[in-house]
Amino acid sequence: MQAISVNNVKFVYNPNTNDEHTALNGVSLEINEGDFVAIVGHNGSGKSTLAKLFNGLLLPTEGDIFVYGKNTKDEENEFDNRKNVGIVFQNPDNQMIASIVEDDIAFGPENLGLDREEIIKRVNWALDVVDMQEYKNATPFKMSGGQKQRIAIAGVLALMPKVLVLDESTAMLDPKGRKEVVDTITKLNKKHNITIVLITHNMEEVVPANKVVVLNEGRIEKVGSPKEIFMDNELLNRCKLELPVVTEIARKLAENGLNIDKNILTEEELKEALCQLL
Amino acid sequence: MKNNVTFGQLYPTNSFVHKIDARIKLLLTILYIITVLFCESYFSYVITIAVVLFVVLVSKIPIWNAIKTVKPVIFIILLTGLINLFTIREGKVLCSWWIFTITEGSVDFAIKMSLRLFLLVLGSTLLTMTTSPMDLTDGIESMLSPLKVVKFPVADVAIVISIALRFIPTLIDETDKIMMAQKARGSSIDEGNIIKRCKALVPILVPLFVSAWRKSDELALALDARCYKSDVAKTKMKVHKLSWRDLVAVLFVAGFTTVVMLDKYMWLGIF
Repeated sequence: MQAISVNNVKFVYNPNTNDEHTALNGVSLEINEGDFVAIVGHNGSGKSTLAKLFNGLLLPTEGDIFVYGKNTKDEENEFDNRKNVGIVFQNPDNQMIASIVEDDIAFGPENLGLDREEIIKRVNWALDVVDMQEYKNATPFKMSGGQKQRIAIAGVLALMPKVLVLDESTAMLDPKGRKEVVDTITKLNKKHNITIVLITHNMEEVVPANKVVVLNEGRIEKVGSPKEIFMDNELLNRCKLELPVVTEIARKLAENGLNIDKNILTEEELKEALCQLL
Repeated sequence: MKNNVTFGQLYPTNSFVHKIDARIKLLLTILYIITVLFCESYFSYVITIAVVLFVVLVSKIPIWNAIKTVKPVIFIILLTGLINLFTIREGKVLCSWWIFTITEGSVDFAIKMSLRLFLLVLGSTLLTMTTSPMDLTDGIESMLSPLKVVKFPVADVAIVISIALRFIPTLIDETDKIMMAQKARGSSIDEGNIIKRCKALVPILVPLFVSAWRKSDELALALDARCYKSDVAKTKMKVHKLSWRDLVAVLFVAGFTTVVMLDKYMWLGIF
């Protein structure tokens, strides 16, 4: 089933003024239910704009976006679309409303006007999913970036969205925090069948995705599996994207005459391949 | 920088005082403030000090921590005391030098005035030291709720207060970072006379303001993304119910007020 469908969308910031800026120029994209889509591109490629278009935080200048068949432009769909598509932003500090973890996570379901019991159930469920149950009554200030971002994810999960969009949510984190977040969303996708849209410029996070969308200058350059994208050297150069370190190592080894697969994506695969050589 | 802002921060001990309903605490604090303003005799001041110390004891906050919160306003308290000491001329002259004259009446008044300010600040910081910001906001929201009848945006005000409290530590962190960045580039914030120091604050306040602006922009998006709407009926996860504790607290403070009032209007002059 189709979760999000983007039809020939153009988005212009400050139209008809001096600093008019076209962020997206004719983008079409289909995201199916259960997909793990990674959207990559360097700064200014329009990927964050696209994220905010998905649930109607921004509305397309031209073209339409449908979330489960509902156009984001229609005001009556606004609430449903925001409920269906949750967004986690870059800086966890700027997304938290309350000083206590539990209260912050309850903010979304409280806005939905759910029953008290249901809110409590959802808060506990969300904390379980991100594995932060023990911090329920703590304040987020003293936590690590990864923990804070997991709380932010829980805050969005409590709305029980069908699609979870992560708008560069790992960009400010250290490698450990990044791994925590990527592991959490991979689990959400596999175990809870939540559609994931991961927006990033870090190619290592692209590996678990089943579909990669490469954006450049407001246009989609290519859509494909991670392997297909990594093989396309010309594309990567043009879009200023870097291969994951593991793939880079495999390539260098292969260039130097070792009999090794050029398209290794994970550390495990590399380990395996190297062991077989010995 | 961080140590300066301990003023009134929550000191969690899970004591009797912490468990009193925030609304009741808020009302009792107001009653306490009014009562302190009615204190006149030394007897009533002794009673007030005893009451405050008793509350501090019950709330399990180390006494020194509680008194420390008055530090930021100690200058104002001393200044008020000194002004009273030198300007009021009543009763016997104790000593006189140049334009300064100290009389019996002025000593009496200065002591009482300083004590009153001290007790006011201490009493009200006890409220914030024993109540989490979230409970306090809920309490304010619940107490303002009758205003909904006249279309006053109670829920919006509550969330504004809650967010303001939530961002204090974030903005302090930000200030620290900006100060360090400016120091690293050779600005001298801690040196020079007062005018120089004030001028040195400008390059800190401007980036702080810009960053706060950007943060509020992002936060607004995050609020929207989490279905925030001010005109839709919301539910609350936490429900506040009154208990026997609240009754005990009300009786305690009411008793205190009664004693002070009796002292002022009936027993005056006996003690």
